[in-house]
Amino acid sequence: MKRSTIVFCGLAALLIAAIGCSDVKRTPGKVYMPDMANSRAYETYSANPVFADGRTSQGPVAGTVKRGEEYPVHIEMDQTGDTANYYASRALPNPFDSLDADQMKETERLYLINCGICHGAKLDGNGPLWKDGDGPYPAKPGKNLMGSYASQLTAKQRWQVITYIKSKQGK
Amino acid sequence: MDPVPFQPQFTEGMNQKRTAFQKIISSFVLLVFLSGSLVLNAQDGKALFNQKCASCHAIDKQLVGPALKGVEDRWDDKAMLYDWVRNSAAVIKKGYPRAVAVYNEYNKIQMTAFPELKNADIDAILGYINTGGAKAAAAGAAPTDAAASATAEDESDANLLYGILTLILAVIALILLQVNSNLRKMSDEAEGAQTAEPIPFYRNKAYIAIFAILLFLGGGYMTFQGAQGLGRSKNYQPEQPIFYSHTVHAGINQINCLYCHGGAQDSKHANIPSVNICMNCHMGINEYAKGPQLFREDGSKVDGTAEIQKLYQFAGWDPGKKAYTGKGKPIEWIRIHNLPDHVYFNHSQHVTAGKQNCQTCHGEIQKMDEVYQFSDLSMGWCVNCHRESKVQFKENKFYSIYEKFHEDMKNKKIDSVTVEKIGGTECQKCHY
Repeated sequence: MKRSTIVFCGLAALLIAAIGCSDVKRTPGKVYMPDMANSRAYETYSANPVFADGRTSQGPVAGTVKRGEEYPVHIEMDQTGDTANYYASRALPNPFDSLDADQMKETERLYLINCGICHGAKLDGNGPLWKDGDGPYPAKPGKNLMGSYASQLTAKQRWQVITYIKSKQGK
Repeated sequence: MDPVPFQPQFTEGMNQKRTAFQKIISSFVLLVFLSGSLVLNAQDGKALFNQKCASCHAIDKQLVGPALKGVEDRWDDKAMLYDWVRNSAAVIKKGYPRAVAVYNEYNKIQMTAFPELKNADIDAILGYINTGGAKAAAAGAAPTDAAASATAEDESDANLLYGILTLILAVIALILLQVNSNLRKMSDEAEGAQTAEPIPFYRNKAYIAIFAILLFLGGGYMTFQGAQGLGRSKNYQPEQPIFYSHTVHAGINQINCLYCHGGAQDSKHANIPSVNICMNCHMGINEYAKGPQLFREDGSKVDGTAEIQKLYQFAGWDPGKKAYTGKGKPIEWIRIHNLPDHVYFNHSQHVTAGKQNCQTCHGEIQKMDEVYQFSDLSMGWCVNCHRESKVQFKENKFYSIYEKFHEDMKNKKIDSVTVEKIGGTECQKCHY
C-alpha cells in the first residue's frame, strides 16, 4: 500500500514535469557569480540615474563635431509649406563629387543597404519595400515620407551616396 | 481617353469620301484606336501615378496627402483639378473653395507642382485611380520553412525512438534474467537439490548496485549540465514590448540587417535602432495587411497593425495629424544576447574586418518571428570557431600587416590561415 503510493506520486511528478516544460524559454536562466558577469558600470542601453532622461545612451553634445566628421551645414528643416531651405540645400556644393573605384564600391554597398529597399537596386524605385504601389516612395532627402538618414549615414557618406546616384543616373 | 482633339481630323477625312462602307470602316478604326489608347492610358496612368503621385498619395489610404479615391467627385470643376495638379499654389490664390479646404486640412503642405503633366496625363492618372489601382495580389509572401522544422522534428523523433528502444531492451533483459533464475530454481527442484528461496529483485544486491551506478552517472551528467548551463541562455526568447518580426522585415521585405543595426559595421555594438529608423518606413506603412498571419510562440495571433500603433505610441507620432506630439518614450527592448562583463566582444571586428555573416552567430534571424538566442555564446563555442574559421586574407586590407602569412600563401607553403594563427585564441584578446 505504502509502496504503491510512493510509485504513484513519482509517476505523477514525472508527468507534471513533462507537461509543464514548454519549449519556449522566456527567462534567461541563472548566472554563476553575478558580480563577475553583470557589469557594475552603466552599459550602453542600461538605465542611468545620472542623466535627466534616465538613459545612458545620450546624443552628442550640442555644438560639437565628431572627430573625422564633416563640418555641419546649418540649414534648418523647412517649415511646413515652405521650400526655401530645401532649395538652399540643393545649391550646396558637393565636397565628394568624384569617387575612386574602392569608394564607389563602398558607396554602392551603403546605397543598397539604406536606399535600395525603397529606391531599388537599379535606382528604378523598385525595391523590396516599394514595388508597384506597395508602400511609400520617398522622393527627396528628408522630405515628405522619407525621414532623415543622419543617424544612419555620416555627412560624408550622404554626399558620397548622392555622387553615386548622380553617376548612375548619368549612365 | 480624350477623343475630342482627334475627331475633327476624322470627320474631315470622311467629308471627302462619303461611302457608307468607308464610314463603317473609319468608325471601326476610330473605335479600335480609342480602345487602344484607353489601354495605353491605363498603363501610363499606373506608371505616372507611381512616378509622380505615390511619394505622397495612395489610392485608398491617407499618406502625406489625402487618399485619391473619388477625387473627381470632390472637385466639381475638372479644369480646376487640372490646374491644381500643375500648380496648386495658383489655384489656392484664386480662392477655389475645395483647394483652400484641402490645403488647410493637410497642415498647409504645398503639393509639388507638376507643370509637365498635360490634361491627358492627368486623365490617365485619374483613370488609374478609378480602376482602384487594380494590382496583382502580393503573392509568394510566405516562404515556407516547413522543411527546416521537419528535419528538427525528425531529429527529436529519432532521439525519442532510441530512448524507447533502450527502455524496451532493458525490460526484456530484466525479464529474461528473471525467467532464467526461475528456470534454474525449477530445474533444481526437479533434481531435488535444496536451494535458497529466491530474493526479490528490489533486494537483489546486483540490481541495487546497477541502479546506484546508473543513478550516479545520470545524476552526475545532469548536475554537470546544469552547472555548465549557469550563465548561458541558449534559446532564450523573451517577449518584447512590440511584436517585431524579423521574418517580415529581414525575410520577406529583405531589409538589410545593417539598415537598422548599422553599428555592427563600425562599432562594438550592433546598435538597437532608435525609433526614428523605424519611422523612416512606418511614417508611410501604417498597417500590416499583406504579409502572412503572425503568431506568438504560445500560438496566439498577432495583430500587426496594432503592433505598428504601439510603435506610434512610443515614437509620439500622431498618425492622424502626421506630426510628432513630442510625447514619445523609449521602447524598453529586452536584451537577449548578453556576454559576461569580463568578455570583450566587438561587432565591427567580426562583421567588417572578419567579413562574417550575421547568421553565423545569430542563426537564421530572417526566419525568426520572435528572436531567440541561437548560439550558447560559451567560451568553448567562441574558441572552436576561432580554431576552425579561416581568415579572409584576399581583398582585405585589414590583414595586410601579416606579411609572412601572405608570403607563405603566395609560395603555397600554406593554403589558409585560421583565426587561431593570428592570435585569435590568446586570452587577452577577449579578457582584459
